[in-house]
Amino acid sequence: MTATATPVTPGSTTAVAPGPGALRSLACHRGRLIGAGAVVALVLGAVLLGGGSWPASLSVDLSGPLDRTSDWIIDNRDGHPLFLYFLGHVSNVVVVSVRAVYLVLLALGWAGVTAAAGLVAWRVAGVRLALTSVAAFAVCGLLGMWVPTLQTLALMAVAVAASVLLGGLLGLAAGLSDRMHRILRPVLDTMQVLPAFAYLLPVVLVFGIGVPAAVLATVVYAAPPMARLTALGLRGADAGVMEAAASLGATGRQRLLTARLPLARKELLLGVNQAIMMALGMAVIASVIGAGGLGDRVYQALGSVDVGAALAAGVPIVLLAVVLDRVTAAAGERLGTAPARRAGLGWAVALAATSAVAVAGRLSDRLAWPPSWTVDIAGPVNGAVDWMTAHLYSGVPLVGGTADWAGRFTTWVLNPLRDGLQWLPWWAVLLTVGALALLIGTWRTAATAVLAMAAIGVLGVWDPALDTLSQVLAAVAVTLLLGVALGVAAARSSRTGRALRPVLDVFQTMPQFVYLIPVVALFGVGRAPAVAAAVVYALPAVVRITAQGLSAVDPSALESSRSLGATGRQQLFHVQLPLARPALLLAVNQGVVLVLAVVVIGGLVGGGALGYDAVFGLAQGDLATGLVAGAAIVCLGLMLDRVTQPTERRGLTGKGA
Amino acid sequence: MTRTRIAALVTAAALAAGLTGCGAADMTRQASPYADAKSSRTVTLSTQSWVGAQANVAVAQYLLEHELGYRVDTVQIDEVPAWDALSQGRVDAILEDWGHPEQEKRYIDDKGTIARAGDLGVTGHIGWYVPTYFAERHPDVTDWRNLNKYADEFRTAESGGKGQLLDGSPSYVTNDKALVNSLDLDYQVVFAGSEAAQITQIKQFAKEKKPFLTYWYKPQWLFEKVPMTEVKLPAYKEGCDADPEKVACAYPHTPLQKFLNTRFADGGGDAAAFLKKFRWTTEDQNEVALMIAEQKLSPQEAAGRWVKENETTWRAWLPS
Amino acid sequence: MNGLTQDTAEPVFSVRELWKVFGPKADRVPSDEALASLDAAELRERTGCTAAVRDVSFDVRKGEVFVVMGLSGSGKSTLVRCLTRLIEPTSGRISIDGEDVLSMDAGRLRELRRHRAAMVFQHFGLLPHRTVLDNVAYGLEIQGVARGERRERAAEFVTKVGLDGMEHRRPSQLSGGQQQRVGLARALAVDPEVLLFDEPFSALDPLIRRDMQEEVVRLHREEGRTMVFITHDLSEALKLGDRIALMRDGRVVQLGTPEEIVGAPADEYVRDFVRDVPREQVLTVRSAMRPAVADECETGPALAPGATVHEAIEAVARTGENARVVEDGRCLGVVDRAGLLGVVAGIPAATGKAVA
Repeated sequence: MTATATPVTPGSTTAVAPGPGALRSLACHRGRLIGAGAVVALVLGAVLLGGGSWPASLSVDLSGPLDRTSDWIIDNRDGHPLFLYFLGHVSNVVVVSVRAVYLVLLALGWAGVTAAAGLVAWRVAGVRLALTSVAAFAVCGLLGMWVPTLQTLALMAVAVAASVLLGGLLGLAAGLSDRMHRILRPVLDTMQVLPAFAYLLPVVLVFGIGVPAAVLATVVYAAPPMARLTALGLRGADAGVMEAAASLGATGRQRLLTARLPLARKELLLGVNQAIMMALGMAVIASVIGAGGLGDRVYQALGSVDVGAALAAGVPIVLLAVVLDRVTAAAGERLGTAPARRAGLGWAVALAATSAVAVAGRLSDRLAWPPSWTVDIAGPVNGAVDWMTAHLYSGVPLVGGTADWAGRFTTWVLNPLRDGLQWLPWWAVLLTVGALALLIGTWRTAATAVLAMAAIGVLGVWDPALDTLSQVLAAVAVTLLLGVALGVAAARSSRTGRALRPVLDVFQTMPQFVYLIPVVALFGVGRAPAVAAAVVYALPAVVRITAQGLSAVDPSALESSRSLGATGRQQLFHVQLPLARPALLLAVNQGVVLVLAVVVIGGLVGGGALGYDAVFGLAQGDLATGLVAGAAIVCLGLMLDRVTQPTERRGLTGKGA
Repeated sequence: MTRTRIAALVTAAALAAGLTGCGAADMTRQASPYADAKSSRTVTLSTQSWVGAQANVAVAQYLLEHELGYRVDTVQIDEVPAWDALSQGRVDAILEDWGHPEQEKRYIDDKGTIARAGDLGVTGHIGWYVPTYFAERHPDVTDWRNLNKYADEFRTAESGGKGQLLDGSPSYVTNDKALVNSLDLDYQVVFAGSEAAQITQIKQFAKEKKPFLTYWYKPQWLFEKVPMTEVKLPAYKEGCDADPEKVACAYPHTPLQKFLNTRFADGGGDAAAFLKKFRWTTEDQNEVALMIAEQKLSPQEAAGRWVKENETTWRAWLPS
Repeated sequence: MNGLTQDTAEPVFSVRELWKVFGPKADRVPSDEALASLDAAELRERTGCTAAVRDVSFDVRKGEVFVVMGLSGSGKSTLVRCLTRLIEPTSGRISIDGEDVLSMDAGRLRELRRHRAAMVFQHFGLLPHRTVLDNVAYGLEIQGVARGERRERAAEFVTKVGLDGMEHRRPSQLSGGQQQRVGLARALAVDPEVLLFDEPFSALDPLIRRDMQEEVVRLHREEGRTMVFITHDLSEALKLGDRIALMRDGRVVQLGTPEEIVGAPADEYVRDFVRDVPREQVLTVRSAMRPAVADECETGPALAPGATVHEAIEAVARTGENARVVEDGRCLGVVDRAGLLGVVAGIPAATGKAVA
């Protein structure tokens, strides 16, 4: 609504705080004030608190209660009513639904499933994507991954359905009720920075290894973006349309069903899209707790250090992700454009064709993928990886091998950073965090950040957390350096951008486990490969956000600078980068969150610290170590997120979006 | 309006609870959703991340499928969670266990949900190893007392100023931190975090003939690729590893054990009988493991080859 | 305020002492003499509240076009929303056909919105995911009319507003004017007793706006439906309104016919407002008329008392004689050149004093 003739709404007339002038001048000197406060506190702290690590008297040992909880759950799992009458049924429902979907897929046969995928893509997104889908499924079969692909699909279907349902309901509550929104927002914000590994352990403890635990962990991971986007869509419904509906005498239900929900359909579809992507991202991680399917193949291939086999199982995941992403995105874009003429007929054709193919497959007894139609890529891939590691690891003339780089990076960057952080008195760390958060964000974010950091100390994992923090900071720095450079390149030359896009897509969707071995083969065991793995994971998002931010810069500003005779360099540094500042800050924030998400993966290649503790907890079923490490990672994530969060979080950027 | 909606929700919830909650559901007795639809004769084996364990499972799976007509699912689970899964019946058998007294007490003695199924026939041993090419040049390195002398040679960026002792997966039994302390060694334990990472690192070191000191275990196929010599630690005596904080002796030699879910052991028919009898040697296991890990055969192909050549061995395992 | 003598028709809407105050503890403002008399800035300073509508009273008569006019922020849009409680008034009374609106329960209020008062919005408020036809049928759908019937009725109104052949387009495929025609058809389709327009044409291009205004005039002529029309455009108000309420800072500063507003502005603000209006097109010959002397009633062109001064000038210029003002065959008076010039110059013929 434009300003003219808008009725004054209750929201827009909140009381103005007294003395706006004072506030403004305060805001002007904010940076200086914070600095002065920090100095005063520094002196006070040095005098009163002394130096050193987090004091033991301020930490709480949770291992006793956690071990007891763990024992209680194990002892009561087959007897306590909570398990028998509630969790057991939850578990049952999951198993039954996954099984049902799996059996349907099996009954369709490979031809039926491929045909169905192609026809759905055709109806929703056109011929090109239809061909892509068919090709993707064919590749899954060719790689000998047909059955695992179906298992993953079955699990995904149930997990995504549950996520969409749960997320949709939560989003509905938050979208319609302000109070629910206030309650749910911080929860969803926290979930956003929660690394998936952190909550595998509790889920496993309750549900045991297996599909139910995997599905539930996936739902916990994938539901928040759905909830967030649903709430966003519902809250953002065009006020004019809503008023028009009310003016026609619509009941609350009618307003919701005929106006508010349809108006939010783009966000809803985007939420579904995000839920699917998150669920796929979880497919491999969930294999650690018995999800089976493709993830399990990747995980098993790791055991025999077989990159080729891991890749053969990883490629179908990437293909599924690409196809599902494009199809749901296309569905979102088509909404509200041309009215679908004769859509019913098209769907009928698609359905008929699918059933025809499925029946034909069944009659000719060709339900399973023909074993002879497979291609073995493991050999060549392993050869390539061996060659790469053999030639890059060390002794490359002039620049030295990757092992030398890793060594130098560890000695000159990681070690000083870690030792420096651990040498800092604990209160000084809290102070720095608070001051930084205050400079960039608000009092609220600063308070959250300091509390999160203090919680780490209370949990008694101060030193490992700082070790992890040093790795995260180093990884973020490298990611930003590379990411912004690549982003600038992609934004300035559309050819570079086009060339980068598929590479980034693959890196983003490829399960991290797959590049674990090449990373170790190149950088050895330790913190350097952990940093490398994090950089590889976080880079795509940073590049994309940077490139998008730069290309979204107002063309008229660029034009005016060109008209003044600015060189390309001057345009970049004086116009594009300053104007793209919000995007760059968002890139920093996303970089931090993503890097932290793979800290646990870093634990698998020698990153040590919290990542190792989390893996250890999972591997040994040790709730005390694992849960505390997981909680500390979450706190670290909250802290870093708040410190790097300049303004209101932009609702649309999900993890890995 | 809101009231009616709430009422409707409550009714729906009550209905749902009524429909599903009419009986108890014991989730410790649920089958995998991927179990074969046609046949109910399915066995689920736990396979661990190391290749030796994969070899056991591969051969057992091959024989169960080809000789006994079962369908076999495998699930990769870490050691301790595998006990829990076995107790719940999510898996039917663990074929290679390196000794978990705490779990044995809880699940076998107290709860009775897991039953012993005898020796695997393979003896496992954990120790500290240096590459043989290094031990040949410096024979005295194989005594722990001389390790400090070589600390400099074993230094890496990760271990800082000390020598590096490479440890592996967090799921493995290890006393190394305590050992380094008790024996007053100038070493830093670096956890590779996963066996895959550890093996990759060892191979990289070996490729360049660099010295390294690593936690490792036998039987393991890697010995065939990278010959390694054990460093002698103070001899193992019964009970010397009782206090995990103050261990100062070597790791024991452990006869590896098989375990079955109790319900499966009693009602598992031919499959259970077969798994109880399954027993082979370190050499057998290594042969299969090497085919998987180095020739990159699929576990089933490797098992197929071994089965073809060792019929006398496995005939004895089949129930008469 | 509405002391006009021809007031015989039953009022459709009757509004008395209506207040709408936004802000914390808004209730206390209308009842507190001291607060109620404050101006906007003082009120905000003292209480943090904003009074969008202050002590407004008027009647909307059956069959008339009642225009509420004011600049942005004058409270006119809030006022029209108060009529069907899309915005809940703070205090005062509203009745429709004698029935108290403020005491209606939710069901009764829905009934009011569904059948008695339909609204047309500045930004159309169309559902983007529905076709034109389904948008027009939306009000009927909400009433629970069966699909076939409501589509049939909707199609009729699509034709009525001149959108034939566009039934299956989406709103995004229409121009602004066409979209507003859809909005109009949607409101008409529920056959309401009163049509409420909230600045319906201010987002449209001038030419299209004129078309739409004529459309409204035509509809009103054909159906005689009561209309409440909000606008910030004076010429639109003068063109459409039978009576105009001019609002400023939430208050009605003058209520009257276009002629009264232009001819006798209540205060400086109104005078300022109507300064540039071509008076001869708004004022009627009544205001330029003087009593007939001798046989003046016998000759000259005859004009109705509702004829504009503009028409009188034309007639006088053409015939060269003074014009008679005749109603029902009775001569009310005559207009001569001096009188007409006086109107154009803003000097009333009778008194000779400037009024504008």
